[in-house]
Formats: sequence, C-alpha cells, structure tokens
Amino acid sequence: MSFSIVQCGSLLTAALLMIIGLVALVYLDNVVKKIIGAAFIGDGVNLLLISLGYRANGITYILLQDMNVTNFLGQASYPLPFALVLTSIVIGASTLAVMLALSVVLYKRHGTLSASALLNDKKIGEDNNE
Amino acid sequence: MDGTVFIPLMVIIPMICAILVNLIHGTETVTKIIAWIAAICLPIVPLVATFGNHFFGGYQPLAAGNLMSTLPEASNAIISGTVLQIFHPAITYAFGPGQQVVLFILGLVAMCAVFIAIAETKQTSGVYLFMLFMLSAALMAFVLTDDIFNLYVFFEIAALVQVGLILVSRVRGNYETGLKYMLLGEIGGSFMLLGIGLLLGMTGNVNMTDMVVMIHSGLVNPFNPVLLFAAAMLIYGWLYATGLPPFNAIKSEIYSKGLPSGSMILQSFSVIGCITIGLAIIRIFGYLPTTQMAMLAVSVIAMILGICMAMVQDDYKRIIAYLAVGELGYIGVGIALGTAYSITAGLFQAVNELVVTSFLFIGFGLVLYKTKTSKISKLGGLAEDMPVAALLTVLAGLTMAGVPPFNVFQSKYMLVQASLQAGIPELAIIMIILSIVTFLAFLKMAYAIFLRPKPDDLEVSSANVPKTTMVVMVVFLIICLVIGLFPSLVTSRLAYMALAALAL
Repeated sequence: MSFSIVQCGSLLTAALLMIIGLVALVYLDNVVKKIIGAAFIGDGVNLLLISLGYRANGITYILLQDMNVTNFLGQASYPLPFALVLTSIVIGASTLAVMLALSVVLYKRHGTLSASALLNDKKIGEDNNE
Repeated sequence: MDGTVFIPLMVIIPMICAILVNLIHGTETVTKIIAWIAAICLPIVPLVATFGNHFFGGYQPLAAGNLMSTLPEASNAIISGTVLQIFHPAITYAFGPGQQVVLFILGLVAMCAVFIAIAETKQTSGVYLFMLFMLSAALMAFVLTDDIFNLYVFFEIAALVQVGLILVSRVRGNYETGLKYMLLGEIGGSFMLLGIGLLLGMTGNVNMTDMVVMIHSGLVNPFNPVLLFAAAMLIYGWLYATGLPPFNAIKSEIYSKGLPSGSMILQSFSVIGCITIGLAIIRIFGYLPTTQMAMLAVSVIAMILGICMAMVQDDYKRIIAYLAVGELGYIGVGIALGTAYSITAGLFQAVNELVVTSFLFIGFGLVLYKTKTSKISKLGGLAEDMPVAALLTVLAGLTMAGVPPFNVFQSKYMLVQASLQAGIPELAIIMIILSIVTFLAFLKMAYAIFLRPKPDDLEVSSANVPKTTMVVMVVFLIICLVIGLFPSLVTSRLAYMALAALAL
C-alpha cells in the first residue's frame, strides 16, 4: 500500500516531534522544558496514528442519508485511529496537568526548576515518614 | 441470569466505588461502609462469574470467512493493505479459569489493602481509597481485556494513580519521585502507544486475537520491519510497566515511597503488568526468537540486579522493593521461555508474588508503624515488642526466598524444571543461587531488626499493632501454605491461560 505525500509529510513530522521531545526530555535540565518534551513525544505518536487513518481525497467516516453505501465505503477514511487518538489526547492532557502541578509544588518548595537539583537521588533523601 | 454479566462488573464495581468514596470524602462512616462493601465484592465477583467473553455494546465478532464479503474495502489494514479476517467491532473481555485465579488473588490483595488503609489511619481518606479502588479497577481490566489499546488506556490510568498513591503517602521526597516516574512514564507510555499504532497499521485492528490471526496465518508478512519495530516498542512498555531494567531503580523508589497498603497495590501493578503485557507480546510476536531472547535476557538481569541492589541497602523498605523487582524477573523468565509449562510456571510465580510481596510490605509496615524509621542500622530487638508480627514477617521473608512448604517454593521449582526442559540448565542454576542469596539476605535483615540487642536511642511506640493488619497477615500465611501444599489448585487453572496464549 502506498502513502500519499500528505501522509509522508505527517509521518516525518511525527518522527521529528518524537525525536525533539526525546532530546528535550533527556538533555534539558529545566523541568518545565522536560515536560514540554514529554508532551512532544505524545503529540508525535498521536500525529502518527492520525496519519495512518488518512486517505487521500477521502471523506469523513459519517454515513449521511443521501450517500451511496458502496461509494461511501470506498472513499471514507479509516475511523479507528481517530477514535484512539481522541482517547490518547485525553490521557495526555491529564498526564500533562499532573506533571505541571507537581512542578509548581516543587518550585514553591525548593525555589528552582532545575532537574539536577530537584530529581537528584541524594537530595530526595531517606524514606521515613514526615 | 447469564453469569457473564459479572465479567464487566469486576472493573465497574471498583471504578464506581472509587468515584463514590471520592465524592463523599467528608462523611467518614459512609465512606468506610461503601469501601468495605466494594472491597468484599472484589474477590467474590470473579468466583461467581461464568467463563466466557463479554463484548461491550453487544457486538459479536464477524466470523472468519463467511462474512468476508460484507467487510468494506475501507477495513483493509492501513500499512499492509490486507483485508481483515475476523474483526472484533467491540472491546472484548475474556474470562477463563486462569483469569479467575489471578483476579481472585488480586481482589483479595486489594480487599486487604483497603481494610489496612482504613484500620491504620486515624481518619479515613476518601482520596486515598479512590486511588486504591481505581488502581484495582485498572488491574482487573488489564487481566480481562483482549484489546491492546484498552490495555494501554488502563496502563496510563494505572500509572497516573500510582503517582497519586505516592503523593498522598506524605513520605519525604514523594513529589520528586512522582515527577521523575511520570517523566519516565511518558516515554514508556508513548513508545507503547507507538507500538500499538504500528500494529494497527499492519493488521488493521487493535484486538489481540485478530492481530494473532492476521500475523500467524501469513496474511501479514510476519517479518516486516514495521512489526519488528512494534515488538521493540511494546517490550519497552513492558519494561516500564514491570520495573525491569533500566526502570528497576525508579520502580523500587516508588514502592519505598508508598504506605504499606499502597505498596501492596503498587507491586500488584508491576506483577499484573508483567504477565498481561508479557503474554500479549508472546501471543503476537512469539514466532520471533529475538523477542523471547530479549525478554529472557532482561528478566535474568533483573533477577541478579534486584538481589545485588537489595544487599547494599540499609533501608528495609528499599530492600523489599528491590527484591520485589528481582522476583519479577522470575515471572519474566517463565513467560519468555515461551512453552506452555514455563508460562504456567511464570503465571504461578506471579500469583504467589502478589500474595507474598503484599505480606512482606504489611509485615515491615508494622515495624515502621512501631518505630517510625526504616533504617536497619537504627533498629533491633523488636521481637520483644511485637513477637507474633515478627514471626509472621520472618515467615513471609522465608516464603519469598522459596523455602518449602510455602507457595513460592512450588513456583520456583516449576521454573527450574521449565528452564531445564527448555535446554538452559545455566538459568536453573542462576535461579537456585539467587534464591539462596535471597534467603540469606532475609536472615540477615530479620536478625538485625528483630533479634539483635535493641539500640539505646530506639523509641518504640506503645500503640498496639492493629488487629486488622494481624488478621490479614494470618490470611496471607494460610494462602501461602495452602497453595504450597496443593499447587494444582492454582496451576491446573493457570494452564488454560498459558495454552490460550500459545493458541495459533
């Protein structure tokens, strides 16, 4: 099965987003930048899923009354990836919200957003109850 | 009444209860009553449910062959272009004898966690109970679902709730650990979704049975590089879910930051994730020797690293956490060997692990309850203050080490046999040596905490050990003993799950 130019462009963009996100997550020290990188990875995967469901000159997968069923089936894009992406976006938004909330709390406690200062094993300390 | 209606209830009951206890957070008595009722339902529902499948929305799968002509052209697989063969239009929950055993034990552990959470806290927290019930619901869905995207959704829910459990524990460094875990989880979760997306592209759907049919019947080229990349991504997700290397350190940190009741459920996520995602990988990619070898290698490294890291710790919560991660390696070995016998042994080890690690977390949780410290160097002589609890905790440790006649001895014995049958005697030797080292580590820890002279500066609380916690420990001991003496009660049922994973 061949891919259209639009699909190839989307897939490349998705790959680029994932790589940028991964680099940001691994190499940047600022926690907020790391979170943005993490969001980039998720967005890249979502874009990949959407690209998979794309059909060149296709129509939305909604059967209206005046449509011919055979033509509709031949032209409609594949709806499953879109349904999955909707769920994935909701999950991503929740994860992002929790991560940002955590970074706000940590900034208030420590006065810094540096990952090397905040997430250092030695500084996290022993596990005794407070 | 058709008993299959109970299948979705295993997920729905804890989920509704989670929402309810969170809503009525202020009214403590009502919160407790609802939590008790729902907790008791958790192990009972799997026992009364009838074996079968539940299709959400009532959509039955399209049968292979005769309904092919009705499939639209648009239902071709996206990347490979192959026409779909079976196509499950709805999310499917599959419930058989193997799932029954796993869900019963999981329900029992979740029930005990809820009881302990209520007993050990002065004021019952609706938010904390919400986390416990929501994670239980996610784990139940993990075991039941045949839909790989549904698996991913509950995987993400479980990951979020795990962080919630850490945040409400009020242990020092919990926020930092939570953020670190989420950042790593974002990579693990996204890579897993990427693998699922590529599988969807190749096979056209997200139902695992459909995928297996498409790949194993040759409709999709099984050696397509896209499939191999998808396998790698799923294995990465599996490593993150289970806490196998390179995620062993963060997973151990997560366990050690939780309250005992929370840690019980947290380790259940790792165990259930290990078997469900592991079985999904073996089902779909079992024909690839590379996949099995990669899983096997990581599992062996986890076993060795787990015990080595545990030996150098001074914090007993971390020791149990590292040992728990190491024990997951045994489950991974069973699944990765890929034979019906080895998978049964792996599943048996997982069921035992659910009980034994929870048993240990409760036991050492009592030490924390009495002394408020988890440093072994600051402890000693606690056998005088809590003799029964000390005895039970030592027995839990010996159980994990694989001492007969307890359950873990039987599962480790099966795993040794499985590795010999698979022609890898070296693996059997490693497993035996590591069990001996685990045994010695527990003896050393038990001596330091319970038997050696009490340090002068150690303050032991005069508060009595909660009776609920003691009852739960006795229940766990009885389960370990019964399964150890009659292993076929469990293995005969788990064999169905292993055979189903190898079908086609």
